This record gives sequence, C-alpha cells and structure tokens, in this order.
Amino acid sequence: MQPLVGQPFRLGALFGALSRDGVFYAFVAPFALLTCLFGLWPILLSFQVSFTASATALRADASYVGLANYVAILSDPEFRASLWRTLTYTAFAVILNVGFALAMALLIDSRFITRGRTFFKIAIFLPVVTPDIAGYVAWKWLYDRSFGAINAVLDLLGMPAFGGLASVSTVTTAILIAELWHHAGFYIVIFLANLAVRDRTLDEAAAIDGATTWQRILYITIPQLRPAILINCVYALIQFLKTFTVVVVMTKGGPADTTNFVSYYAYQLFDQARYGEATAMASVLFGIIAIFALSAYALGNGERGR
Amino acid sequence: MSQTLFLARSLAYCIALVVSLLFLYPYWWMLLGAFRSAEAVMTTPLRLWPESIDFDAFFSVARVGGVPLWRYAMNSIIITGASTILAVFVTALGAYAIVRRRGHRLFEALRYVFLLTIMYPYMLLVIPVYIVMFKIGLLGSYAGIVLFLSMGPIQFFLFEQFFRSIPHEIIEAAAIDGASEWQILFKVVMPMAAPVVATVAVITFLLNWAQWFPVLVISRSPDTYTLPVALLSINGELGTNFQGIMALAVITTIPATIVFLLAQKRVMAGMAEGAVKG
Repeated sequence: MQPLVGQPFRLGALFGALSRDGVFYAFVAPFALLTCLFGLWPILLSFQVSFTASATALRADASYVGLANYVAILSDPEFRASLWRTLTYTAFAVILNVGFALAMALLIDSRFITRGRTFFKIAIFLPVVTPDIAGYVAWKWLYDRSFGAINAVLDLLGMPAFGGLASVSTVTTAILIAELWHHAGFYIVIFLANLAVRDRTLDEAAAIDGATTWQRILYITIPQLRPAILINCVYALIQFLKTFTVVVVMTKGGPADTTNFVSYYAYQLFDQARYGEATAMASVLFGIIAIFALSAYALGNGERGR
Repeated sequence: MSQTLFLARSLAYCIALVVSLLFLYPYWWMLLGAFRSAEAVMTTPLRLWPESIDFDAFFSVARVGGVPLWRYAMNSIIITGASTILAVFVTALGAYAIVRRRGHRLFEALRYVFLLTIMYPYMLLVIPVYIVMFKIGLLGSYAGIVLFLSMGPIQFFLFEQFFRSIPHEIIEAAAIDGASEWQILFKVVMPMAAPVVATVAVITFLLNWAQWFPVLVISRSPDTYTLPVALLSINGELGTNFQGIMALAVITTIPATIVFLLAQKRVMAGMAEGAVKG
C-alpha cells in the first residue's frame, strides 16, 4: 500500500470501525458505568484507604502512612487469631458442605430413588433462596436453651444438652450446621446437573462386568464429577472465607470471640471508624480469595487440557 | 424385586426423607412460632400444631423502629422489582456487547474488571461503596440501593453463556439482510433469549429479595429498609418479642418461597448453569 493514499484510507477504516463498534459502546455503557462506579472504584478506594491514617482517611487531604495499617493488623494477635479461625472454619465448612452435597446428590440421583426426586431437591434447595436473615433467625431460636426444639429433642432422646450458641465448645458446630442448611442445596444442584450429563455407558459396562454399586460410584461416577467437585470447592471456599451474615444474626462474634471471623472483625473496626485497618483486612482477605480462585482456575484449565 | 434391592431402596428413601424433613423443619417451626405464645413454646417446644390460630403476632409487628411494617414491605417490593428489571436490561446489553466484541481490548478489559469485582469479598466491598454513595450523593436514596443491587455475577454468566451459544450465521444472515445492530438485537437475539431473560429475572428477584447488608449500609434511616433489614433490627432489640420476630420472619420468607415454588425448575437449572460457567 502506498503511504500517500494509505493515510486517508486508514482514517476511513478507523471511522468505520468506530461506528461499527459505536453501537456496542452504547450497549455496554450502563454495564460499564455500574461496574466502575460500584465495583472498581470502591475496590481502589479500599486499597487507597488501607494506606492512610484512619482519622484522616475520608478527608481529601488524607495522610498516607504506607504499610503501617498492614503492619498493625498483622502484629495484632486478635487479627491473627481471627484469620486462623477463618481459615480453619472455611476448611471444615468446605469439606462438610461439599461432602454432604456429593453424598446427597449421589443418593437422589441413584437408581434406588425412582419417585419424589423433585420433592427432595426442592426441600434441600429452598433454604438457598430463603432470605438468610430469616433462616438464621429461626436457627438462632432453635438453638435456644429454653425455647429451642433442638435441646427438647435431645432431652426426649435422653441425650446430653447441646450448648448451641452459648458455649465456646459448641458454637462453631452450631453455625456450621446452620450454614450447611443455607448453602448445601446450591452445591447439590450443581452436582445433580453434572450427574445428569455424565456418560452412562461406562457405568453400564462396569455393571455388566460385575462391579458393585460402591465400586461404580467410587471408580466411575466420582472421577467423572471431578470438574463439579472443583467448582463446588472453589465456590464453597469463597463463600465461607467471607462468612458474615450468620455471625451478625446469631453470635455477634462470640462467645469469647470464638466466631469472630475476618469479615466481622473488619466490619467492627469499620464501625469504630478505624477505616485504615478495616480496609487493610479487606485487602488481606481479598488476596487470599484471589490466590485460591486463580489457582483453581489454573487447575481447571490444566484438567481441561489433559 | 430382589430382597437386597428392596432393602437398599428403603434405606435410600429413609435417608432422603429424613434429610428433607430436617431441612423443612425450621420453616414449620418459624410458622408455628408466629402462632404460639412464647410461654407455650417454652413449655412444649416440640408441639407440631398451634394451640389456636390467631394472627395477633402479625399485628404486633405493625411498627418496627418507628416505621410501619407496610412501608418495609413496599420498600422490599419496589427495591427488588426495580433492581430486577434494571439488572436484566443492563446485564443483557453488557454481556451481549462483550460477547459480540470478543477480542476487542476494551471489552475484554471490562470483563476482567467485572470478574475482579465479583472476587472481592462482597461484605467488605459494601463498606467503600458507602463512601462512593456519599461522594455521588446517592447515600440514603432508593436510587443508590437499586443501582447497587443491579449488578451480579450469576446474571452476567447466564447471559454471556447464552449469547455465546447463538450461531454466528444467524447474526450474519440478519446483517446481510440489512438489519442494523439494534434490529439484530431486538428482533433476532432478544426473542430467542426470552427463556434466559425469565431465568435471570426470577433468580435476581430471589437474590435481591434476600439482600440486607447493602440496604442497611446505603440507608440513612429505617425509611429505606427492606423486610430482612427490619427483621435484623428487631432480632437485635432487647426484650425480644419472640412471636413477633417469627411473624416477621414468616412475612419475609413467604414471597420468596412462592416465587421459587412457581419457578423451581428454572431457578435450580439457572443457578447450576450460571455457576458452572463462572
């Protein structure tokens, strides 16, 4: 192409491309605006605030203190305890939820259940779409020593009373159960969707070869569910690292800080106008979630590449 | 039927039934609590039927925090309804543009920014959103709450996945016939997308009906609280009215339950699909 005619030609192409793209800019504009306004901007703001002194954080002439807030929270034994507590709680919750969901999905999908699948699915999924505040309020009272049905049942069966939300040794179990109730249906539905599209010929071949039901579940069905297990683990991980609502409704972090997870701790600091430290905690939690999410993403791509 | 198969089947049904009933029991307990006095619940917590059916408890929560209950209900309906409609429009258009302009640097960048946003811990995002709302003057307004609730990952993934599944040929054929992009979108693509629009609308309704933290943070007074936020605030009050709390929990739960039951297949399939892609 000759340079002399090339110039106007390229300009024309640019305008052509612009007008062709133009309508798509119009389509995407509201989405882009909301993403920036309520996504990108607050995230950047949060990072920015995490480098400022809390007292000046919201002013235009905020004073920057470098990594002081990060140093402060990492040397705060309460925050370290809270972080550790969050990680162990998450580990338990992920194993419990994904394990329970896998078992229930295999059961509902099994050849032993012929009728009533829809009922079982609805019963277990309903809590997912129930406002979590309402669900946790009900659970809070279910655990109550004098009102609650749970201790009444244990009493009826002649079993020792369950400490519920009042005791340090039982509170974690109590909120694990309430959270399982609220979240498990989501993971079950993902497992069921994957079970529905699996390759059944392998299963049939194994049955003809005389494999038992357990062997078929263990060596044929579960390996085929690997992508769903990965997805559910990532979702559960992100979900439980952020554990918040259940704490607000049921325990307020107590008793004796046993359920004071990072989200709740950060929120409390924010409430006391300690913005710098609160946002530094948010950054730390975001970093952890991002590491997990990205490594799962890489793992998922690796699996697909095989 | 062989004996072992019969045994296995009975066991499977037993487990599935027990788990299902345990999952449903809190609802029944909540409902019973709304009709039974605190004293009655304390003496016989396991009763499965109320002593009498009276709706007193529902009237006892006629006002929460100085605001009439109907106001919270109206707020819930308005905020959930408006944010659902807005979410469907904004995300459908956004996802469509991003899919059609795949490979274009700006559109790809926007997609990554969006993915970054949804990874950020939601509860902690809401806090700086408070500052943003303050700066743009939307703090305490319905508009602020509705706009914030109009963004969600599952909605985006469902639309993106659907638009990607549309064969190129259909759009090219329409373009060759001289259709503009607007016509392609509204006359060709959107009619095909009707089922996805319905799925996204129902799921958004259910998710936003349950939202409480953004509503609480963006609000300046109880005047813009929704039902879950009202429930949270009476849950925290001292000298709790147990029966009233259960009544409000029932009121908060029923609309979501009805919507879900009417569209259960769509909701469960949509949630699974939107998640698997994400």
